[in-house]
Amino acid sequence: MSDLPPIGPASVVVVSGGSRGLGLAIVTDVLDRGAKVAAFARTITPELQQLADAHPDRVLVASVDVNDHKALTAFIKDAEAALGPIDALVNNAAVGQDAMHIHMSPQQIGDIIATNLTSPLVLTRAVLRRIMARGGRGRVVMVTSVCAQRGYSGLVAYSATKGGLDSAMRTLAREMHGRVLVNSVAPGFFASEMSSVLGDQQLETIARRTPSGRMVEPDNIVPVVRTLLFEDTNLNGQVITIDGGSSI
Amino acid sequence: MSALSRDQIRTMMAEVLAAQGKEMPAEDTANLEELGFRSLDFSELALRVEDETGEELNFDAPGLRQIQTVADVLDFLEQLQAA
Ligand SMILES: NC(=O)c1ccc[n+]([C@@H]2O[C@H](COP(=O)([O-])OP(=O)(O)OC[C@H]3O[C@@H](n4cnc5c(N)ncnc54)[C@H](OP(=O)(O)O)[C@@H]3O)[C@@H](O)[C@H]2O)c1
Repeated sequence: MSDLPPIGPASVVVVSGGSRGLGLAIVTDVLDRGAKVAAFARTITPELQQLADAHPDRVLVASVDVNDHKALTAFIKDAEAALGPIDALVNNAAVGQDAMHIHMSPQQIGDIIATNLTSPLVLTRAVLRRIMARGGRGRVVMVTSVCAQRGYSGLVAYSATKGGLDSAMRTLAREMHGRVLVNSVAPGFFASEMSSVLGDQQLETIARRTPSGRMVEPDNIVPVVRTLLFEDTNLNGQVITIDGGSSI
Repeated sequence: MSALSRDQIRTMMAEVLAAQGKEMPAEDTANLEELGFRSLDFSELALRVEDETGEELNFDAPGLRQIQTVADVLDFLEQLQAA
């Protein structure tokens, strides 16, 4: 038999956009699971700083713009120096959109693509290079969106980036054969700073139209990310949609 | 090219409505929903203003969602031109 042994649970996880919302919930959960975390965002929130202070040997936080690729590389280097070899990444940082495509400037479209697609690919490359350089194995989770599968007006560029990440995820899962498990979680709308543009009426409509009868919460998404980071499921190259069945 | 006046924008709005067989109301307090002037009609009007002035008017959906009356349309397009 030529079967490879399973890829082990993550031990040092990079989380982009770990300062609030879903990213902060993922950072907290990875710590609860006993692993180490390197998290960044442009602004470090008191909540993230509190986690860093509570677990100085297991958490590294820094203020990094994901579009500053030099700073990103430096952060990965610092993370390995502080926490040990990185073996997992959660690509969570992203910016939202709430504008019709025809009324967005080319610059605005480019900015969304840079933050939500180009930079996550650059970050993925940086982490995979670290894993490969030392002959390691690992796991990557892309946080994408149900918008990559269904049309929602006002989210054209955003949806394109999430679909792009899902496509890259599948190709990476093949390309990193036997060395890295790569998957996406695709949430439906959940309450956060990103979705705060939605009015009460829109939130109510989303909840009403959701077959499970309630909107998604970060607490629903975290266990799925945890499974992809730590469990031996042999899931690879998959998009796991977490939306209460809205997209069925 | 200089910004369009409120009256010029009102004339353009009347053209957008006329193309759909609808009439421009005399009162600026008229409600857009009752008038059948939808967000894509606002888009069309904004693009016509852009064509006339040669300047792009970029805006997001929350701004658009505030618009409820003819006066709101005229105010918003005036603001966008001034921005
Ligand atoms: N909320 C939803 O309804 C929803 C639905 C489906 C998918 N998602 C996805 O879920 C993920 C988390 O979203 P969320 O709702 O938790 O959003 P959020 O509350 O707005 O958090 C976004 C995080 O990304 C960081 N970030 C944004 N731009 C960055 C940049 N240029 N460099 C570094 N960090 C950056 C933010 O921190 P700073 O701003 O300080 O940099 C923050 O930590 C995203 O990938 C989003 O697309 C969200």
